[in-house]
Amino acid sequence: MTLRRLFVFDEKTRFMLALIAPAVLVLVLFQILPILTGANASFRDWHLHDPKKTWIGLTNYAYVVRDEEFLGIVLPNTFGFMFASVACSLVAGLLIALLLNRKFPGRWLVQTIILLPLMVAPVIAAIMIRWMFNDQFGIVNVVLDVFGIAPVAWLTQKWTAFFAILLTDVWLWTPWFALLLLAGLQSLPPEPFEAAQIDAASAWRTFRYITLPMLRPVIVVCVVIRAIDAFRTFDIVWTISGGGPARATEVFSIYAYVEAFQFLNFGRGSAAAVIGAIIIVVFAMGLYRVLNRWVEVSK
Amino acid sequence: MSAVAALPAARSPGFFEALAPGGRRALFVLGVIAVCLLFAFPVLWLVLTSLRPGYAVYYVHRGTDFTLDNFQDVLGQEIVLKALWNSFAISTLATILSLGVTVTSGYMLSRFKGPIPGAWFGAIYVFRCVPYVSWVLPLYFVTRTLGIFDTYWGLLLPHVAVHICFFSWIMKGFFDGIDPSMEYAAMIDGCSRWGAFLRVALPAAVPGLTALAILCWLYTWNEFLFALILTAQNTPILTVVMAQFVHELGMEWHLMSATAVLALGPALIVTIFGQKYVIRGLKI
Repeated sequence: MTLRRLFVFDEKTRFMLALIAPAVLVLVLFQILPILTGANASFRDWHLHDPKKTWIGLTNYAYVVRDEEFLGIVLPNTFGFMFASVACSLVAGLLIALLLNRKFPGRWLVQTIILLPLMVAPVIAAIMIRWMFNDQFGIVNVVLDVFGIAPVAWLTQKWTAFFAILLTDVWLWTPWFALLLLAGLQSLPPEPFEAAQIDAASAWRTFRYITLPMLRPVIVVCVVIRAIDAFRTFDIVWTISGGGPARATEVFSIYAYVEAFQFLNFGRGSAAAVIGAIIIVVFAMGLYRVLNRWVEVSK
Repeated sequence: MSAVAALPAARSPGFFEALAPGGRRALFVLGVIAVCLLFAFPVLWLVLTSLRPGYAVYYVHRGTDFTLDNFQDVLGQEIVLKALWNSFAISTLATILSLGVTVTSGYMLSRFKGPIPGAWFGAIYVFRCVPYVSWVLPLYFVTRTLGIFDTYWGLLLPHVAVHICFFSWIMKGFFDGIDPSMEYAAMIDGCSRWGAFLRVALPAAVPGLTALAILCWLYTWNEFLFALILTAQNTPILTVVMAQFVHELGMEWHLMSATAVLALGPALIVTIFGQKYVIRGLKI
């Protein structure tokens, strides 16, 4: 009886399983299977030039969590980058969404221009930024020169390189925030705003006490999605600074990549990737819960 | 005009009005122009670089020789033409496949409660967090084993896999916003579950689907890491070809920019015609 119930699903369950079957199939083959392969490698002595593949337990993990580079530079960089990038693009995106939510002549053109970064491949944007911040030929130093400021070797110092990376990320993702928040703003009911207008509430108070609370659910989803993506940023950091100078701007994806493909220690790189995945899964769950509670309370 | 009219009527004259009549409006216009410049500048710079002859490219801000030779050079290369077509085909196919696979999954997440949807949502949430670096290399081994490395399928299916988690989540939001009572009514009137989904829920979700389709197309068109690792010379992809113009030694900035501008064209068309639908569709 119980065995029968396990294998013969009722009509509703069959429908549910049929709905997700294609997605599950693709996910298992092209995401879960590779992730498990990588996780398996992280417990093994797996150098790409000498794949012995012998089981060595947690040695790779022990190395990564004790590595000064990982603890002292990579983790602070990754979290710093995540917070700065999400905060800046959220604020900028919100301001732009508020701007585009007003009616003014030429709004369509302004909107198209602001959405430009969405059309540019991140790797191209990164190459362009590297080009613009080039210490000899870059336009940024040319402009600084006009104002009498000595040229800066942007990409060969830690904080200036970090700034260039952050700038690229904010430039790339502000339109994304703006788009989602604008869609959110336009779906808000008009009545509370009319009431505020009748009560002659100031623009700031209308924003603070009506717009912001009503927009919170959208903001939460945007922030969680973006925070996860910012945590695993790879291509723009790799293209702009390559993690340099001297590994000073390495974020966690770069660390895993460098360990696996430059030091050719696939096992250790995989271990770093697994550690990063665990950190971000725990962090994302915590973030989602905190933000969700914040939304509930504000209701 | 309307920007000012939108402000509440009963207000004391603000700081800027006191400073100069119409000053508020001028400030607004200046602010808008500044923001536009900030967002457009890197793209403008790219276009400008692509119009410079090879010898003048290091001093884009100096001199006035402009040329279209770069575009001619680039379009004369067979690999660029092939890459343009491949990128277009892959983006379009990946969009169709991803939407087809995730619309049902999102519907399921939205309409059902219980252990199976719960487990599926948990899986999606967890696997969304796993960083690309940890599965891109094993993915290379997997596509090799399946014999689809460096083919359309070998790039398409991983792209679909990337989209599954995010899109299922967003689609759930779309269906959450659609009242299910119509589907119940259809089912009482004799519609099957599939009928209720295909004939009632799906048409109501079309604006959301359109928005996601546009974002998905742009994302795949611009994707780099997967294309770099999962393709070789048989399936050149535009972003990879572009990046190959920038080597450590010879940086062919003018050719790179010309290719990048070519890549921007279709994306620009999609965005100009699509932005209305994206904003309308993303109202979750």
